[in-house]
Amino acid sequence: MFKKILVSNRGEIACRIIRACREMGIASLAVYSEADRAGLHVQLADEAVCIGPPPAVESYLNMDRIIETARTSGAEAIHPGYGFLAENPEFARRCERAGIVFIGPNSRALDLVGDKIRARQAMEKSGIPIIPGMKHVAADFAECAAEARKIGYPVMIKASAGGGGKGMRIVCSEEELRPSLESGQREAKSAFGDESVYLEKYIEDPRHVEFQVLADNYGHIVHLFERECSIQRRHQKIVEETPSQALTPELRRKMGETARKVLEVAEYNNAGTVEFLLDRNKKFYFLEVNARLQVEHPVTELTTGVDLVQQQIRIAAGEKLSLKQENLAQRGHAIECRIYAEDPSNNFLPSSGKILFLREPMGPGIRHDGGIYGGWEVPIYYDPILAKLIVWAETRESACARMAAALDDYVILGISTTIPFLKEVISHPQFHKGETTTGFIKSYFENWRQNQGPAEGLTLALAAAALDELSPSQKVEKAAGLEKEVYSPWQMLGRWRIGEKP
Amino acid sequence: MDFEFTVDGVRQTISLDRKDDCISIRHGDKTLEAEVRVISKQAVSLLVGGRSFLVIVARDKDKKYVWLNGRTYLIQRGKEEQRLAERGDDRAQKGKSVVTSPMPGKVVKVNVSENEAVRKNQTLAVVEAMKMENEIKSPLEGFVKKIYVSPGDLVDSEKPLLELEPK
Repeated sequence: MFKKILVSNRGEIACRIIRACREMGIASLAVYSEADRAGLHVQLADEAVCIGPPPAVESYLNMDRIIETARTSGAEAIHPGYGFLAENPEFARRCERAGIVFIGPNSRALDLVGDKIRARQAMEKSGIPIIPGMKHVAADFAECAAEARKIGYPVMIKASAGGGGKGMRIVCSEEELRPSLESGQREAKSAFGDESVYLEKYIEDPRHVEFQVLADNYGHIVHLFERECSIQRRHQKIVEETPSQALTPELRRKMGETARKVLEVAEYNNAGTVEFLLDRNKKFYFLEVNARLQVEHPVTELTTGVDLVQQQIRIAAGEKLSLKQENLAQRGHAIECRIYAEDPSNNFLPSSGKILFLREPMGPGIRHDGGIYGGWEVPIYYDPILAKLIVWAETRESACARMAAALDDYVILGISTTIPFLKEVISHPQFHKGETTTGFIKSYFENWRQNQGPAEGLTLALAAAALDELSPSQKVEKAAGLEKEVYSPWQMLGRWRIGEKP
Repeated sequence: MDFEFTVDGVRQTISLDRKDDCISIRHGDKTLEAEVRVISKQAVSLLVGGRSFLVIVARDKDKKYVWLNGRTYLIQRGKEEQRLAERGDDRAQKGKSVVTSPMPGKVVKVNVSENEAVRKNQTLAVVEAMKMENEIKSPLEGFVKKIYVSPGDLVDSEKPLLELEPK
């Protein structure tokens, strides 16, 4: 087993991996950009090294710097988390060359699944169902227009190096094609450094169902069942759950076997996720392989009892997979909500700033994977994910109730977050019925605004604001001459101290 | 004792009176009695007719974020117009339209030039933050009077990007 692992990521996922290392008796080394000196991952790790300026290209994407840091500090392996260098075959190759273990798939498998087009070709050849569309990169606008006509509108633009919804656009008519292509290519270029795109038939209102798979270095592959991730905005998942309401045991078995076959075709090792679209007729299509630990991995962990990060580390260290397909089973129901620093009532615009107060929910069956703390300033340079709230319960119904209550208990003040929005998503009747498709947010939550709430709530909130005006720290500000003192409220209401009656 | 706040652009007046352990809260035509216990610098427990409320308050300059029962209220001191005018915000003046960045980020593209005619909802500029591109749309039909930024500029939230002249 490794003695030290470098975690080349930040935020909640770096914290998750560092915790796994600690539990396995492995030293952890955090790397950070100048914007992340105060990051939680730096605080949790055994060692921490600054790897450059805030922009990711100069720090978290700086391969030479990261490999050099691993070498000089004696880390034998690098865990890339998700995003950044997680699915970069070049990085995996450089690690291999430097004699450092990349905790993830081998570079050839990464090459194949990272190239959406080659993956489509390979899977189709092996009899795995794929979405109709182009099987090569679009050369120019004229070709795109011709292909789009051939496929039939609506079509989907996808980044060849894609993932996370970056570069993805739905195009309903030829008129929209050029501007969508331009902005999709620009976004792909900035996210992946590669602007190649291709077109696929757009499947209307599908479900997004993915299978978690683990493969050791000796060809032993198991799947850990599905996750349903249909609740998305901007093609990015915000709520995930398992089991999926759409699968019958028979369909689950068939899709699970297909997922294992996909990994076999790709000669894949370590953890991966095979994504499928499931259309209204319960026909499934291979979408892509996410060759990394997924954001939503905790729902699988809670229902199968398998620690995926520890499995990844064991596989990378050359251990044989001890799990057997026939012994794996799903138990109960798990739901995850992604907490983003975004304003849900204003088009999910990113919201950066200081977290003035944080209270994470607690209680039976509640897990909080976070990378934040009260007093922390959310930097503008990176993905706006703050944390993930995950619940487990015996049934889907209790899991929904538990999630709603946990969201109600979750306090983040100072920045806008998706918490109030998620609460309404979880409480929506269609969600309760399990009627979740990728069009869910657009159908039921377009131009969402939080409702007013009970009038008494506003009265009490105002009363608390008024009491706060009288609190000692405001008094100190005033005494320091930072604010003009008009009158002293203390004489009228009396001084309020912590733990003291008024 | 009276306090004046602005919530969602609406002026709110609240008055508190202390009676022993309790305060009586007057807001509009309603009156509530609450027993108060200060829990920490940021949390206060209120008992209203036996019902228990935990209220959390965080302040940031003239703003207060107040959390109660899963809901966050953004409460600002004083009156809206006054606040805008104090900050020298152009939105306090009528007939001028300054388009601002809704969040801190980097200007990746400016789609219009000065004196150009613009339609309502036309994309004026693209600001990138946290890896997402956000199109800044024109709030009105008119002309571009002045452009304050160029691609590559880092902008703060509420920083003017350009100024429009309504038609």
